[in-house]
Amino acid sequence: MPSAPSKLYADDVSLLVVTLDTNPFFWSTFSVSFSDFLSQVLAFLNSILLLSQLNQLVVIATGCNSCGYVYDSASSKNHAPPTASMPALYSNLLHNLEQFVARDQKLSKPDHDTQGIVPASLLSGALSMALCYIQRAFRSGSMHPQPRILCLQGSADGPEQYVAIMNAIFSAQRSTVPIDSCYIGSNNSAFLQQASYITGGIYYKPPQLDGLFQYLSTVFATDLHSRAFLRLPKSLGVDFRASCFCHKQTIDMGYVCSVCLSIFCERHDKCSTCGSVFGQAKQDVTSANSKKRKA
Amino acid sequence: MPEVRIIAKNFMDMVASMPAMKLDKLYENGFICEAILRSLPPLAKKYVLQQLHIDVPVAAKQLEEWVLPDGFSKHRVAIDRLVQLRVFVEAVDRKNEKTYKVTPTFQRSLQKLLVHGGTLPREPMASNITVRLPTLEDLEAWALEQWECFLLQLISSSQVEKPSNISSSLMKVFQRRLLSQRDRDAPKLTESGFQFLLMNTNAQLWYIIREYISNSEERGVDAADLISFMLEISFHVIGEAYNVNTLTNFQRNIIKDLADLGLVKLQQGRKESWFIPTKLATNLSVSLADSSSRKEGFVVVETNFRVYAYSTSKLHCEILRLFSRVEYQLPNLIVGAITKESLYNAFDNGITAEQIISFLQQNAHPRVAQRAPSVPENVTDQIRLWESDLNRVEMTESYYYDEFPSRDIFEGACDCAREWNGLLWEDSKKMHMVVKTEVHPYVRDYLRRQK
Repeated sequence: MPSAPSKLYADDVSLLVVTLDTNPFFWSTFSVSFSDFLSQVLAFLNSILLLSQLNQLVVIATGCNSCGYVYDSASSKNHAPPTASMPALYSNLLHNLEQFVARDQKLSKPDHDTQGIVPASLLSGALSMALCYIQRAFRSGSMHPQPRILCLQGSADGPEQYVAIMNAIFSAQRSTVPIDSCYIGSNNSAFLQQASYITGGIYYKPPQLDGLFQYLSTVFATDLHSRAFLRLPKSLGVDFRASCFCHKQTIDMGYVCSVCLSIFCERHDKCSTCGSVFGQAKQDVTSANSKKRKA
Repeated sequence: MPEVRIIAKNFMDMVASMPAMKLDKLYENGFICEAILRSLPPLAKKYVLQQLHIDVPVAAKQLEEWVLPDGFSKHRVAIDRLVQLRVFVEAVDRKNEKTYKVTPTFQRSLQKLLVHGGTLPREPMASNITVRLPTLEDLEAWALEQWECFLLQLISSSQVEKPSNISSSLMKVFQRRLLSQRDRDAPKLTESGFQFLLMNTNAQLWYIIREYISNSEERGVDAADLISFMLEISFHVIGEAYNVNTLTNFQRNIIKDLADLGLVKLQQGRKESWFIPTKLATNLSVSLADSSSRKEGFVVVETNFRVYAYSTSKLHCEILRLFSRVEYQLPNLIVGAITKESLYNAFDNGITAEQIISFLQQNAHPRVAQRAPSVPENVTDQIRLWESDLNRVEMTESYYYDEFPSRDIFEGACDCAREWNGLLWEDSKKMHMVVKTEVHPYVRDYLRRQK
């Protein structure tokens, strides 16, 4: 990376990357309609751009089969003619969002809906895209943005994405990018709790959704500079449970490979990730040395 | 320090000093609210956003609950600023507690802006009417050229080849604090004039605009109208053409002045005429805190005190001439040397060493800007040393006493002066002493009493 001192920044200029859950299976079963939700989010997004001329906003849609950029305030392609009653941000974003949802729907496999379970959104993909974007912003241009990620998530965690999400979280931690999460689903999201906890972001689950804008503007609009002076919501307990690598289930206890730290819900002879051979199956005493019980 | 510190912080200070009635009128315009919001300290922005949809007054205590002990001073600054700009209205409720509420006009305008977006009073013109629109690069180059031309005219009217149309009376207003004219001599730059030249473009622009506005009352123009128009201009899209017919008569007069400053470019079509905002105009609503408008530097300073400036601009040459000896000029290069004499000249004119150094650093050529000290250390040290050379002798007004009648009286007088902390020097052998002027009456009284 190029040296930092020549970069310029004002205190509160921020680059905000928002991941927006567009999972149709979730929204069709949820008490609040997607359009109600979106109208509040749009006002929030607009207010971020309102706060400073240099603020930058990127919106990534998280579908259940794909993710995609739906808005980038720095892109020059945005200059679609603003209609009479709508700012350019809204019309651009809605236009791209519609295209995205249609594309996402085409990708879905027909056998999915027969199972009757809500498929998870591709949070891992959206996080990776957000981090890629931020890395690009770091490496180009003279502006030194203060980036942060905000996950607006509704659908439940997909345990099969555990490894990818954890990798994204650690990569965000390394580049000091806080991940804020606003989870609107029914239970808490363990992934997002961990993401915010590890990266120093805010995890918040609004108790009411009709005043979502108020929660968003009060908690998540706070720039990183001001956070040092404010008392913002802290999560009380974080669900640190991991998913096993073999069946992608969330587990309380499991087996951990002592070489590569892969997690399994049941005994294996050989680590499926790194190929290390574990001790003899019959000798329980020696096997206890090579495998640790995880609490 | 000079009494006129011409740091034009931003004109939100001017907005803050306006009477409440006018402010309410200003706040009816969503763009002005947006500009005001952007000029606020970060914490204040957050408070506005969080109170935006709350219609009842919120107790000060409730706001304070959010603040960590470390941030309390920041919180005070933010709230003070909000109250000063009348964005927040302070009141006392029945329980005798302070409450804050967003000014209703401001609140309505901002809510509307947030949900419906802002619509400018005019739309960009269709591209089939406006032919020959300049590219963004051309436009920026034009704006900077216009601005430099204006500056050059400001400091030395004789050097300009194509004088701008700014009326000489208006020019006088701008020059008021920058130039001083004694009798029939050529006008000379004042201290603040030199400081002005060393500031970056944005700061200079603010200064000029501030003078322009504060002078508006004399010309019979309402300052509030002027401010609102300027802020409105700053929200137009750079490089788009806007029809002049959409302006009021009053605005049309102003836009001519703005064109002379390089804020907008006026163009004439076959039937219509239009104005194109430049980057200078859109920078108006940006507070000075961010220096995103910084342009690329051009100065290379070598350890042998030579200065190479890659610039074609006469203005740059003039600025360099303020503190260095310009030796020769090539088409794209000005070569000079920083000498003791040239610096003494600058110090005489009230420029400080720090200003010179910061000018050299801020305008360092990209090649040298990457190095750790962009201006060699021996040069910066020497500039500072030469400055402190001038300050070696300090003058203090004083009184000299001699021919004391007796040693007792001499020592008594010394003690008296010492008590008042005003004894500068004494020679007890020959019985001479020097005291500060302020202490002289006390010593005199003492000596009289001894007689």
